Amino acid sequence: MPRLIDLVRIAGRRLVVPLLGYPGAQLTCSSLKQNEFNPVLHCESICRLVDRFSPDAAFFMMDLSVEAGALGLPVRYPLYESPTVEEHPVRSLADLEAFKVLDPLDDALVQARIRAMELMKERLDVPRGGYVIGPFTLAGLLMGASELAMATITDPDLVHGVVGFCTDVCVRYARALAAAGADMIAILEPTATFLSPQAFDTFCGAYIRGLITEVTGNPGMTGAAPAGDVAGGTDATGGRAGAGARTATGTTDAADKADAAGVRNGSESAGIERTTGATGSASRANAPDIAGPRRADAMTPMMILHICGDTSHLVRNMCATGAHGLSLDSPVDFARAAREADPEVVLIGNVDPVGVMVQETPDGVRRAVRALLDMMEPYENFILSTGCDLPYETPFENIDAFMKEGRL
Amino acid sequence: MFDFAEMKAALEHGKAAQVKEFAEKALAEGVGAEEILNEGLIAAMAVVGEKFKKNEVYVPEVLVAARAMYAGLDVLRPLLAKSGVKKAGKLVIGTVKGDLHDIGKNLVKMMFEGAGYEVVDLGTDVSPAKFVDAVRSERPDFLGMSALLTTTMPSMKSTIEALKDAGLRNHVKVLVGGAPVTSKYASEIGADGYAPDASSAVDVAKELVKGK
Ligand code: B12
Repeated sequence: MPRLIDLVRIAGRRLVVPLLGYPGAQLTCSSLKQNEFNPVLHCESICRLVDRFSPDAAFFMMDLSVEAGALGLPVRYPLYESPTVEEHPVRSLADLEAFKVLDPLDDALVQARIRAMELMKERLDVPRGGYVIGPFTLAGLLMGASELAMATITDPDLVHGVVGFCTDVCVRYARALAAAGADMIAILEPTATFLSPQAFDTFCGAYIRGLITEVTGNPGMTGAAPAGDVAGGTDATGGRAGAGARTATGTTDAADKADAAGVRNGSESAGIERTTGATGSASRANAPDIAGPRRADAMTPMMILHICGDTSHLVRNMCATGAHGLSLDSPVDFARAAREADPEVVLIGNVDPVGVMVQETPDGVRRAVRALLDMMEPYENFILSTGCDLPYETPFENIDAFMKEGRL
Repeated sequence: MFDFAEMKAALEHGKAAQVKEFAEKALAEGVGAEEILNEGLIAAMAVVGEKFKKNEVYVPEVLVAARAMYAGLDVLRPLLAKSGVKKAGKLVIGTVKGDLHDIGKNLVKMMFEGAGYEVVDLGTDVSPAKFVDAVRSERPDFLGMSALLTTTMPSMKSTIEALKDAGLRNHVKVLVGGAPVTSKYASEIGADGYAPDASSAVDVAKELVKGK
C-alpha cells in the first residue's frame, strides 16, 4: 500500500500542497454553487488551479454538507460560500431508521462529486485528493453539535449508534471516491476539536480507524497488520467499519446493509482499470516522480485526517487512528506536533488560511511560509500546506507567493 | 447549615437530576433560594468555567454542567421571581447573520445564566434587524454577538450601525466574541467589550457596568 510518507521521501524536496479548491471558481468565473452541481465545471476549476499554481497534489472543493444532504437533511447553497446544513433532527436511535433506507451514493450531488473525481483522474497527473466528512462531524450534523457533545457524557450508546451509522456512510462514499480515482482522501472531522483526548479515542478515533481500515483494507500506519494484503484493498470485507468500537454497543442492521453495499462497491471498483495519464492537461515538467507507488497499487488511497481549530491536545490520538497524514490548522504549534507525532505520519499544514492567506500581503505570506519551513527543517514528515481550505476570495498573488517561497 | 459541597460536585459532573434533588432538599431545609443560587449553582459554574479556561475540562463537560445548572435553576426560578431577587442583569445574545456556529455562543449564554443573569437567546443566523428588534423589546443591559467566520464578522459592525440608526446604541453595552474576533476588531467597530472565552465574558460585562 502506498503511504504518504513514501511519497514525501520519493519527492526528495518539500512537497507544497495548499488546500486550494474554492479559488478555482475565480478561474472559471463561476459560483461555488455551480461547482457543487456541475462536475465538469468543478473539474475544470481544479485543473485551472493546477495549471496556474502547480501544486504537488490537487484536492477538489471542500464540502461538509454533501453526505448529510444525501441522507436527506436540508442544505442551503449560497452562491459564493460553502453550503450549510440547516436542521439536525436526530434525537434517538429510532430517529436514525429513516436514514437507513437510503443509499447515499444514489444522491445527485454525491454522484456529481464522484464524477468530478473521475474527470480529475482523466485530466490531472498530480496526485488527486478528495474529501469525505468524518463520522463524528456527520453525527454532529444529524444531531446538532451541542447535543452530540452532551450525549458523549449523558448517552454514550446513542453516540456510538449514530457515529457507527455515519461511519458506514463515510466508508461507502470514500470507497466510491477511491474507485473514481482519488489517490488521497482527507477525512474532515472539525467537530472533534472540542473533545478531550479520551473522548476523542472513544467516540471519534475508533471509528476513524475503522473507516481507514475499511477503505484501505489495512489498519494503517500504526496498525498491527503490515501492508501485506493490499491487492484486495477495497473489497476486503473482513469487518465492519468501526467494528472494534461498535462491538461494545451492539450493531444495527443498517450496518449489515451498508456492509453488503460496500462489498458490491468494492468488487465494482476492483474492475476499473487505472491509468496514470501523462496526457493530462495539467501536467508539469518539474513534477516529482511520485507516480511510482501509485501505479504499483492503484486503488488504495492514502488517508489523511483533517481537523480544524486547535488540536494540540489530540495529535497523539489522531496518529493512533492509522491516518497516513494529519492536516492540522494554524493554531497548532507544528514543531511541538512533530515532536509528538509518529515520524511515519506526515504533518500537513498550517499557514493561516484567512489571517495570512487572505488578509496579508504577498510579503507577509512569504514570511509566514519561511518561518514555518525553517521551523520544520529538522523534520522529514512534513508537507507545506494551509491550515484549512482557502476561501474563494484568496488573492492569487498570495497563492503565488506561497508556492514560490515553498519551492525556494 | 446546608452543605453545598455535594451539590456543587454534582453540578460540576453534570448530574442534572441530583442537582435538582439537592436544590429541593436545600429549600426543604429552609435555605433561601437566593443562597442556593449563589452558593450552589453560580459558585459551581464558576469553577467549571475556570477549569475550561485551563483545559482541565472540555466543551462537553461544560455543556452538561450547564444543563445541570438549569435543572437547579428550574426549581428556584418561581421562588426567585416571587421574592423579587434582583437579576445581575440581562443579556440578549445570538450568532450573527450567515453564521451557524453556536457552541461558543451557547457557552457564553450558559456562563451568564450561571452568573445570575437573565439571558434571551436569539439563536444563530441573526440579522442586524432582529438584534435591533430584540434590544428594543427586551431592553437588555448587554447585547452579545458571536461570529466564527471571518466572512460574517462585518455583520457585527452592521448591527452596531443599525442600533445607532434606531437610536438604541446608548441603551445597551455591546459585547462581541468568537474565535476570529479580537479586542482590536471589537474597538474598531465600536463595541464596548470583547472576551476571548465564556468565563471572561462575564467578568468583562461586570467591569463595564461597575459603579453604575
Ligand atoms: C465545530 C466547527 C464547525 C461545526 C459547527 C457546529 C456548531 N453547531 O457550532 C460545523 C461542522 C457545522 C462547521 C461548519 C462550518 N465551518 Co466551522 N468550525 C468549527 C470549529 C472546528 C470549532 C468551533 C467551535 O465550536 N469551537 C469551540 C467553541 C467553544 O469556541 P468558540 O466558538 O471560539 O467560542 C469561545 C470564544 O470564542 C468565546 N465567544 C464565542 N462567542 C462569543 C460571543 C461573545 C459576546 C463573547 C464575549 C465571547 C464569545 O467564548 C467561547 C467559549 O469560551 C472551528 C475551528 C476554530 N478554530 O474555531 C471551525 C471554523 C470556525 N469553521 C470554519 C468554516 C470555514 C466553516 C464552514 C464554512 C466549513 C465549510 N467549508 O463548509 C462551515 C460554515 C457553517 C456556517 N455557515 O456557519 C472556519 C472559519 C474560517 C474563518 N475564519 O472564516 C473555522 C475557523 C475552521 C477553519 N480553520 O477553517 N464548523
